[in-house]
Parts: sequence; structure tokens; C-alpha cells
Amino acid sequence: MAAAGGVLVLLLLASVHPLQAAIPGLTGPQFSLIARQGYITNPDGGSVYTWGYAEENGLMQYPGPTLIVDQNAVVTVTLKNELPQPAGNVSIVFPGHLVTAAGGVLGAMTQEAPPDGVTAVTYTFTATHPGTYTYYSGTRTDLQVEMGLVGAIIVRPVGFDHMNPKAYNHEASMYHYEHLFLLTEMDPRIHQAVESGIYNVDTTDYFPVYWFINGRSAPDTMLAAGVPWMPHQPYNAMVHAHPGEKVLLRLIGGGRDLHPFHHHGNNSLTIARDGRLLESAPNAGPDLAVSDFTITVIPGGTVDAIFTWTGEKLGWDVYGHQPSDPLEPGEYEPDHGKPFPVVLPEQQEVTFGGQWSGSPFLGGVEALPPGEGGLNPNGGYFFMWHSHNEKEMTNFDVFPGGMMTHIVIEPPGTPIMH
Amino acid sequence: MMMRKTLVYMIIVTGVLVLAAAGTAGAAVFYLRAERFTVAMPDTIVVAMWGFTRDTDGNFATTEGAPTSPGPPLEVPAGDATLIIHLKNNLPVPISLVIPGQIAAMTPQFSTDSQGRRRVQSFTQETAPGVQGTYTWDNFKPGTFLYQSGTHPAVQVQMGLYGAVIKDTAQFQAYGVASTVYNWQGILIFSEVDPLIHDAVDLGDYGPNKSITSTINYAPKYFLYNGIPDMALMNINAASIRVGDKILVRLLNAGIETRVPVVNGVYFKPIGDDGNELPYQLEQYSIRLTAGKTMDVMVEPETPGVISVYDRRGFTSINSAGAGQILLTEGAPPGGGGGGGCFISTLLE
Repeated sequence: MAAAGGVLVLLLLASVHPLQAAIPGLTGPQFSLIARQGYITNPDGGSVYTWGYAEENGLMQYPGPTLIVDQNAVVTVTLKNELPQPAGNVSIVFPGHLVTAAGGVLGAMTQEAPPDGVTAVTYTFTATHPGTYTYYSGTRTDLQVEMGLVGAIIVRPVGFDHMNPKAYNHEASMYHYEHLFLLTEMDPRIHQAVESGIYNVDTTDYFPVYWFINGRSAPDTMLAAGVPWMPHQPYNAMVHAHPGEKVLLRLIGGGRDLHPFHHHGNNSLTIARDGRLLESAPNAGPDLAVSDFTITVIPGGTVDAIFTWTGEKLGWDVYGHQPSDPLEPGEYEPDHGKPFPVVLPEQQEVTFGGQWSGSPFLGGVEALPPGEGGLNPNGGYFFMWHSHNEKEMTNFDVFPGGMMTHIVIEPPGTPIMH
Repeated sequence: MMMRKTLVYMIIVTGVLVLAAAGTAGAAVFYLRAERFTVAMPDTIVVAMWGFTRDTDGNFATTEGAPTSPGPPLEVPAGDATLIIHLKNNLPVPISLVIPGQIAAMTPQFSTDSQGRRRVQSFTQETAPGVQGTYTWDNFKPGTFLYQSGTHPAVQVQMGLYGAVIKDTAQFQAYGVASTVYNWQGILIFSEVDPLIHDAVDLGDYGPNKSITSTINYAPKYFLYNGIPDMALMNINAASIRVGDKILVRLLNAGIETRVPVVNGVYFKPIGDDGNELPYQLEQYSIRLTAGKTMDVMVEPETPGVISVYDRRGFTSINSAGAGQILLTEGAPPGGGGGGGCFISTLLE
């Protein structure tokens, strides 16, 4: 993919920053959240007035903080509301959990926090089952979720060991790296109306033009997490793995639209939905798992899928090995030693994308003309992961953008943090 | 003023959905009239609708009852193999009846367009305006289905010509597996209304060379739950349901937009999909209900309290009170005493 100058720099940052393989968040199990207003930035230079759940002493963030708790923990989430008074009450609902709510005022779905910045609502539930869950406002959900009041919850299984992590209480949910994909979209007209004090917005002609993974649009999805110039969008969506390792995708439908999440490189195995393993009987493990290369993510729903890559059946040795060379970890053995099947054109006959290392082999880095490449210092393989509603890969009609990121299959030995 | 529908959509176990008329042994027979009516939407706009009326005396000369959309829910008793619907068309255009998912012999009706091309306008034989027609389904398959017009369906279904038809495998048992036995059942039909298209159709101003030529710019402004454009009105106390009871909720989408019913506080257990029994009872709290889809889900409350069911796609009619939900509210068992119950609340007559 050709990269403009600015984009090139940003992607370079993503591929050399300290690589994070566990999802960042708050560990509780007591949490204090405050609904706050602020602005998020879009890669087309735009900014959008947004509401988000913030940590007690933190900035508004989009999405809200990821809450990470242990199975069987008693979780309490206290919510206050610092939105402008005419914005009205906010609340939180936690689908997949049995919640008791206290304080605040009774709303249509749950207790709500009025916009006085003081009144606290306390939501309590026991995280009885491991898995991926979501939380969002139960007040005027059509407007408030659009405005940004949504976040993720992860429940770790009993006996969770971060050196040998599992998503559920079964070996088949074991993974090396986990990544959150909280998918949302925005119609800036709605945000502009609310920003100017109009709260009775007609959401029936909802027309999003921005799309997000974890609160960022591409190429910001591929920046490091926590970059200081995006204070309200702390999470990223850049994935790294070695061949043969397992990446756990925690997908969440955070907005109003369905999104077909399409991860190039290989099929994934969907092992769970809505925090429940796809199993034919209790403790059977995910024997009803589904192998797909596109996962439909529905609003409010969550999906756990495992992805791995070995170069299986490419038909050539991705390392450029001779048959006598030793196997690499995670190598697809039947293709070992098979020759590269084509003669590549000479360098003066091609144009270059920023992710081309100069070599077709994993770990290979070859000389390139000055100024070319540069986004692939380890010689990895980049695969685009994105919404296959192609329009959703834009930022307000500008491509590339939107609901898109990459996975880099890094050669064995490249440091990736567990 | 909001016209309150008196539909028997909340079925208590002791009652039955619309009773079939006495008739052929082994066959459920119904008499329906297709008629025009109006609904006042939450923003006070009155919209013309097409719907079905249950003709209770089986005599189309007498016009008792009032049309509704969705039409009356029909039940084919578990022991009946055949469904027969006698249809009287009191609308100004030809209509028909189809039930996606049920096998039936079809006799499509064709027309020729302005460029001389043969087009299908009805999936099966039409009933002309003012005329009566009969539609038959043999070997009616158990499950939850939509009956709807099979004529110019892009226009006629969204005008309101749809309803639910169900059949159980045995009394109070939806499918073959024992886990599909239920104590309570409810039906929830999602749909939507584009008032501009409804006005144009109602005024005869829809079609080639008219103000609106097709439904391609379909832009719904009102979102209906069992025909009600404001789900806040669906919070009605029904009889009490106890912890440990099994509630069968039949979800149907008669609209064009995908809807995502989400439940708070408990999990759905899907047992049927488009009338097909699901082989495994998984748990989900969100359901992808695409256009035309039917899903049967069991709800088994484990603790007393409030259970909310709502559309997580957030479709909300202008000026409606809430983002769409049905409240299952706590109730006391008859005769008082401790231990509450949960009950599903929806329209009740």
C-alpha cells in the first residue's frame, strides 16, 4: 500500500514501538467512571465533539476504559455524570451480566446518573463467566452510544496465568497475544447538533462517515497506544505475532451498524460469542467453533476468535530455506525447502509500497532505492485487517482510513511483549 | 391519539392464539380481510397502513373487527397438517399471501413492463380488489413464520401486510427436543414505516411516472414493535412468571433493516432459526435478526427482577419515549407470599 509522507512516519512508529500483547485497561474490580465531554481527532484533520466514560481523574476517553476483572469477582462500577445539564442523565448497562443498580434516578432500563457531577449510581454484578463483554449507556441508547458512551469488559478465567493465557476455562482458548477490536462509527452531524445544544436529535437518518477500531480511525489505528497527541483516544489496534502463535481477537460491536470484520492472512476460528464458548455441551470446549475469514460483528454482541499464521500451503518456503536448513519455530513443515516459485522483476521495473522490505522472505531485508520502504524493519508480512464494507475504510470519503489496521507476522526472534 | 391495538400477542399458556374456524378436519382455517387503516405516530403524524383483520364469523359480508399491522397471530394446532387462509381483499390493488419457509405450490403472476419485458409481480396467485381468495399450505412445518403479501412485496410488505403464524410440535412444545417445552410464550415482530412511501401508496401516487417510483430511497422514520411505534408503551403488567419458568419468545423481523434484540440480565437460548430446530442450545444475549428472519429463543429467568429487551441498533421513532425495550418486570405470585417472579410484558388483551 502506497503511503504518503506523513502516514509513512506514523506507521514506522507503530512497527518499532514497544509491542504490547495484552489488552490495556483497568483491573478493578471496583471502578469509578465519570461521563465527560471532549473532542476526538480524525485522521482527515477533523475533530468531533464526543461523550465518553472517563476514569475518575482522567480525561474523557473513547472508547471508555476497558475493565478487566477475574471470574467470580464482585464488580462495582460507580458512575457520575459531568455532561452539560441539558444533556440529561446517563447510565450503564452490562449485557451478559445480572446487575443490581443503586443510587441516582430510575430510568427506563436502569438507574441513571443526573448531570450534576455529584450523584453517583453504583452498578454491581458478579463476573460469573469468563469472556469478552461490553458496557454502554442504557439511557437514550441511540444517541448516547453514538456520542461515544461505550466500552469493553474482559473477564479472566479462574486461574488465569498471563504467561500461558486462556480466554476461557479450556485449553482450546489458549492464546499468545490478545487484541481488542471495539468497532464503532460516527455521524458527525449528530455530534454537531449536540455540541450546539440540540439534544432532541432525529437519529433516524443516521449516516456515519467515520469508522473506528478502539476509538481510532486508520491510520491512527496503527499508532502506538497512549500517544500524547491523542489524549482522548488511548487505545490502538496494531497486531504483531510470530508464525504459529495464536492471536485472540476480542471483537465487540460498539456502535449501531453491523460490520464484516475481514482479517487477511488466514481464516480464524470463532470459539465464543457473547461470552459463551460455542460448545455442544458444558465443558466440551469449543467443538462448535466456526472457521471463517470474515466475522460479522453485531451491535452489542461480542466474538472471540483465534487467528494464527504459518504460511501453510503457500507452496514455497517463506524463509528462503534450503531443504537441509533447520525448521523455524512455527514453520509449516511440508513447504520446507520448496523454492520461491517466480522470478521477481528487477527493482527498476516496480513501484514500492512502504511495507516492502526488499525481500519476499520472512525476515529478509534487502537494499531498496533511497526513500522507499521503511515501514518493515524486521522483514515481516503485513496483512490488512479491516471492515469489508469497503466504504468503512475511509475517513469522510478519504481513503485510506476508517475501520482498518494490520497484523504483521514478524520473523521468529523479533521481540514482541507478552 | 395513539390507537391502542388489542392484539393477543402475549399468550398465556391457558389460552390459544387466534382460534381456527371450525372446518376441515386436520386443517386450521382462518378468514382474513386486507384493509386500510391509520396509525398516529409519536410525533402526531397520522400514517396510512395496510393490515389484516380477523373475520371472526367467516362471513366477509359482515365487517366486524379492525385491521392491524402486524395482522392477527395465527396458530396451526400441533395436530393439524394443513393451513387454509381465506383472504378478502378490501384494498385497491391485487394482493396475495406467502409464508417464507413453508413449502407450497406457487403460481406466479407476471406482467409486462413498458419495455416489453416479462416481470414477476406476485409470487403466487393474486386476489384482486374486492374479491376473495384461498391460500393453502399442506404439511405445515412446525416453527415460527411470517405470513405476508407475495405481491410487489417491496411495497406491500412495508405497507403493513404481514403477521406471525406458528405451529408447535406438541402442545406447549415448540420443536422435537424436550428442551423446547415452554410455560409462556410471546411474539415480538419488528418492522418500520417510511411515511413518504406510505402517503404516496395511499394516494395512488406510487409507481412508474408517479411521485415515488420505487422503494429505493426507503428511509424509515418510525420503528414498530408489534405495530407499536413506541416501545415505552409496551411496559404492561401481565400475569406473573416464576423463577424457573421457561418463556418462549418468538422474534420476527418483518422490516427491511437488520434488528438486534439484546437482553439484559439473562441470556437468550436460541432453539429455532427460520422455523428450523437448532441442534445445540447455545447462549447469546444478542440476536442478529435480519430482514425476514424468525428466531425462537428461550428465556429462563434465574432471579426475580427486571429484564430489558431492546433493539441495540437503537432505531427510535421520532418523539418516542425510549430507545425501544420491553420490560419484564417483577411480580408477586397469585395469593401473595414470598419469592417473586419475573414476567414478560407486552401487549395483552
